[in-house]
Amino acid sequence: MSVETNIRFQSPPELSAFRDRLSSERRDDINRITICAGTGCVAKGSIRVFEKFTEAIESRQLDATVELKISGCHGFCENGPLVVMKPAGILYMEVRERDVDDIVEKTVTTGEIIERLLYKDPVSGERARNEDEIPFYKKQMRVVLRNIGKIDPNNIDDYIAVGGYSSLAKVLSGLQPEEVISMIERSGLRGRGGGGFPTGRKWRSCRNAPGDIHYVVCNGDEGDPGAFMDRSLMEGDPHSILEGMIIGAYAIGAEDGFVYVRMEYPLAIERLLNAIRDAEVYGLLGGNILGSGFDFRIRINRGGGAFVCGESTALMASLEGRAGEPRAKYIHTVEKGLWDKPTNLNNVETWANVPPIIERGPEWFSSLGTDGSKGTKVFSLVGKVKNTGLVEVPMGITLREILFDIGGGVKGTKKFKAVQTGGPSGGCLVVDVEEKGKKGAFNLIDLPVDFDRLTEVGSMMGSGGMIVMDEDDCMVDVAKYFLSFLKEESCGKCVPCREGIRHMLTILDRITNGEGSAEDLQLLEELAETIAEASLCALGTQAPNPILSTLNYFRSEYEAHIFEGKCPAGVCKQLVTYSISADNCTGCTLCAKNCPAGCISGEPKELHTLDSSTCIKCGICYDVCNFDAVIRR
Amino acid sequence: MEEKEASQVLVHLEVDGKSVSLAEGSTILDAAKLLGVQIPTLCYTPLVEPYAACRLCSVEVEYPRGGGKVVTACNYQVWDGIKVRTDTDKIRRIRGMIVEMLLARCPDIQVLKDLAEEYGIEKVRLEKQEEGCILCGLCVRVCAELVGAHAISFAGRGLDRRVATPYDKSSDACIACGACALVCPTKIIHVEDQEGREIIHEELSLGPSKAITLPFMQAVPNIPYIDTEHCIHFQTGECGYCAKICDRDAIDYELQEETIEVDVGNIIMATGFELFDPSVMGQYGYGRLKNVVTSLEFEHLNCAAGPTGGRILMTDGGEPSSVGIIHCVGSRDENYYKYCSRVCCMYALKYAHLIKEKTDADVYSFYIDMRCFGKGYEEFYHRLLEEGVQFIRGRAAEITDYAIDSDEEGKLIVLCEDTLIGALRRIPLDMVVLCSAMKSNEDAKELSRIFSCSLGSDGFFIEKHPKLAPVSTTSDGVFIAGGCQGPKDIPDTVAQGAAAAAEVLSLIDRKEVEVEAAIAVVDEDRCSGCKLCNTLCPYLAVKYDEEKGVSVVNEALCKGCGTCAAGCPSNAISARHFENRQIFAEIEGLL
Ligand SMILES: Cc1cc2nc3c(=O)[nH]c(=O)nc-3n(C[C@H](O)[C@H](O)[C@H](O)COP(=O)(O)O)c2cc1C
Ligand code: SF4
Ligand code: FES
Repeated sequence: MSVETNIRFQSPPELSAFRDRLSSERRDDINRITICAGTGCVAKGSIRVFEKFTEAIESRQLDATVELKISGCHGFCENGPLVVMKPAGILYMEVRERDVDDIVEKTVTTGEIIERLLYKDPVSGERARNEDEIPFYKKQMRVVLRNIGKIDPNNIDDYIAVGGYSSLAKVLSGLQPEEVISMIERSGLRGRGGGGFPTGRKWRSCRNAPGDIHYVVCNGDEGDPGAFMDRSLMEGDPHSILEGMIIGAYAIGAEDGFVYVRMEYPLAIERLLNAIRDAEVYGLLGGNILGSGFDFRIRINRGGGAFVCGESTALMASLEGRAGEPRAKYIHTVEKGLWDKPTNLNNVETWANVPPIIERGPEWFSSLGTDGSKGTKVFSLVGKVKNTGLVEVPMGITLREILFDIGGGVKGTKKFKAVQTGGPSGGCLVVDVEEKGKKGAFNLIDLPVDFDRLTEVGSMMGSGGMIVMDEDDCMVDVAKYFLSFLKEESCGKCVPCREGIRHMLTILDRITNGEGSAEDLQLLEELAETIAEASLCALGTQAPNPILSTLNYFRSEYEAHIFEGKCPAGVCKQLVTYSISADNCTGCTLCAKNCPAGCISGEPKELHTLDSSTCIKCGICYDVCNFDAVIRR
Repeated sequence: MEEKEASQVLVHLEVDGKSVSLAEGSTILDAAKLLGVQIPTLCYTPLVEPYAACRLCSVEVEYPRGGGKVVTACNYQVWDGIKVRTDTDKIRRIRGMIVEMLLARCPDIQVLKDLAEEYGIEKVRLEKQEEGCILCGLCVRVCAELVGAHAISFAGRGLDRRVATPYDKSSDACIACGACALVCPTKIIHVEDQEGREIIHEELSLGPSKAITLPFMQAVPNIPYIDTEHCIHFQTGECGYCAKICDRDAIDYELQEETIEVDVGNIIMATGFELFDPSVMGQYGYGRLKNVVTSLEFEHLNCAAGPTGGRILMTDGGEPSSVGIIHCVGSRDENYYKYCSRVCCMYALKYAHLIKEKTDADVYSFYIDMRCFGKGYEEFYHRLLEEGVQFIRGRAAEITDYAIDSDEEGKLIVLCEDTLIGALRRIPLDMVVLCSAMKSNEDAKELSRIFSCSLGSDGFFIEKHPKLAPVSTTSDGVFIAGGCQGPKDIPDTVAQGAAAAAEVLSLIDRKEVEVEAAIAVVDEDRCSGCKLCNTLCPYLAVKYDEEKGVSVVNEALCKGCGTCAAGCPSNAISARHFENRQIFAEIEGLL
């Protein structure tokens, strides 16, 4: 693309000279329009918006003064497509094709701000001009996501201009592999893929493992439903991942690296391939990197998309072309991994943390976060909060800050009830805003979020999924949802996971159908013990988490299903009944019109009746009624 | 293997409070075995790499620095200072739950039922399925890692996981070694032959036996041989298990067949006979109907060291409740062999007696004539009459599985004419033994040519004189004994063998042979080397001498018949003492 094919850096100074040249050539007098091309915004039409901009600028012959580019995901996908206008830094949201002419005419030519496209605070109603004024961004700390939204992921020069590959240059300018490892160790960086294993220690074991050939691998499988942190990174800042891997390979002594990406991420694959190609042209990857004599190549592998293939041994089996099934890790993969050679596997986000640590020093990194968990963590915040999207926060931030300051509080009228973290095999934590303190250890709204605290309370960090739930969510149903995901994704190799998850699910089905018994709770706990203790891989050992955590924090909900035949949240179809309240019904006929089973009758302006014998419990009437006249019990 | 042991590092650990030291790289299971501590396993075999899928061998490990974990004994490598507990409450709970899960999946599998009893599981509380396979993967791994055939593999993920052949089709990759069936802990893999006849017994009894085996029982020398046609190693290059476990290093896959030349003065031919293959007699359904077996197969079944341990069983593993024995199958038959095979009547009587003794079955014997010619034989026949064996005089016409009433359902029905009562009968039976004819070997003709001894019209070797030289042949120094001379039973065979040996000994003892006085001689000056005489000599006594370029007569073989002399185009051969000159002189003398 924009790469200058006649350039090949022979030494670190050549690279920094090039960077200087880029910044000197950079003109400050032009308008830079960045259109987000993250998956969310693309889905909402940002490519068409980009094309429209191109047209509008060409037709007005503004090419000389306006620079148009795309960027990775800004995280605030809910309000996409997002457009950033530099140098003023204005952030426009939900930009449609029809807005483009307006923007070009007003903002580009006269600098006038278009109010309607600015962020509007849902509480105060005030408009915000740029990111820093928006609460969603204010509490975030962008280390890993530092470049996303700012650079064009397909343009290596963009990355270099913001300081990219300077960490690699620093490493190759005289740091010994030992020193690099020691820096990562001192930074306190822990793996972001879920396990939270200290990265420096892993690198050291891998470096020390005997053998001529070592490999480094980047885990971009990202199988958690609803998670898209790694995807955004690969799509939005592929070079930072490559740079991390090159530094890691140098420290470990590897000449070959692999990025394992799921097939469902074609854009990520495309951008990574571009990035690899460009970095090779510039001599930042391949043979004799920056003239240092160090060789390292990276290849991309496409995974079929099985969740279990994110597990290290299954991933390596899959990379080798075998079925993606885990094996015992009593002998670690840092000693015998890919093709039985010492292999260092790290998550996408882990790799992307490496360049800033080298650049700004391990002391800076370890000053962020808590005792046991340093740095930041990217979460995908979804569910019943106002602002959903990708957020990066320092470790140790409380759930309250995430939910309120960033998430903007509960969406809708109900109260927060729980936060599910850690992906499908994570746990559900109680958050009760009002009863702060009263519920003691049971209310986790003020829990500092880091690896150890989340594990302590029966959940985990996982790869950073965060699903917020309110009173309309049934905890038994939630557990059932995650378990059915795990049932589908179990590889089926070992007995406890393959057979056990199925049985737990059958029991949950029984409970949500109102057919559960007290023995079922006992049986669930017995099954959970065996699955957690005896499964072969972590998919199995963590599979009982959704049940154990909900049983721990929301046991009364299970009991209501079993002993009272009720679903307190009104989710479990078999256990709810719908009726119409004589007090509230205005006879508007809305419910009767919408009922797909035709079981509501009544004359206009008169009390309606609902025939519960034909009711299919779809809940549409409940949702459409404007007068709270439909009762769900 | 041994070299490795020499340089091994020992690690020390505790299992259930008992200390043990063993080589680095060993597993907890190895340590437990050494101590005699029982750990249950389902997916483990020492033949292939551990897989750790059943998790039944879970044990608790306590690390020397504190802390611990539940691990699987079959693949956890021991290290210094660990303490292993195999029988804690927690481990019993875990194993019990695993067994309960497996039993819910496969309610009818005996190993699981046994384990359930051991772990005190009285009732399965989980939803049941009707599977048989526990997905331990032993078959798949043995087929791939040991056999190298890769004929089966796992297909499907998670709950859809199953063992399958490529595309679920029958595959040429399968070499029918039966290793999968042998290693399957649930015993749900069956090996069938191509006609769909199930081969039931562990050792594939009635089909091929193991690929490394003794030629037959009491073989001399008593050394196993490898059947290269069936040995996995010779087919896939893998396995080699026998070589691995033979601590005498006696197995050598590189050995080639070789021809050994031995100079001898006498030869006894005891090449035996073959059994007639009754599958060509379509009416008896052999090879098509289950439980129709030949007499040899019945011997195999009946043998105490055989596949069933001497129990008489049908292919489904059950005992028959009625057995038929058909005499003269192929013998005394215009269409096959006219002669009587001599031994069948008596061994058929023996079978009848053994079946009666070992099972409760009714026995029917279909005979043409009962030939109980030897000492005590007739008495044995009478004893069997008293034992209640049903003797039906008449040749069995057909065996069918086509039932015409409910009594015949699922049975083999023998159709025959009972000539004693003059009626046609249909007799439903569970099993039928065919007493196949004894016939001469396929290669008897070839042998007769090589050794210049004649064959009779029945295909067996002819003795020199039926009464006066019963074990000699027309070739001096070549003797015959046993089945190659004609059908006979063991006592007769032994007697003939002894006789032949005695003949040979008397020759050896004499240290020299008397040759005929009147033999042929070649006049080497006249011989043109045309080799015509070589082919003419009925005793193969004339050979061409490459060096001299002439034919020469072997004096020990020559019988002086004169054929060569008469046939020689250059008059180079003459019969000693019978030269023309001498004959003319004799004639003259007479005149
Ligand atoms: C079932 C399962 C799925 C996993 N999926 C992922 C994944 O999608 N991405 C990932 O980075 N790690 C995943 N992991 C964690 C990896 O096994 C491994 O710990 C991680 O890639 C190591 O990198 P880190 O040290 O940088 O975290 C998964 C683990 C399990 C047990
Ligand atoms: S725990 Fe589940 S996913 Fe992991 S090996 Fe066992 S069956 Fe496969
Ligand atoms: S025997 Fe160890 S897991 Fe099956």
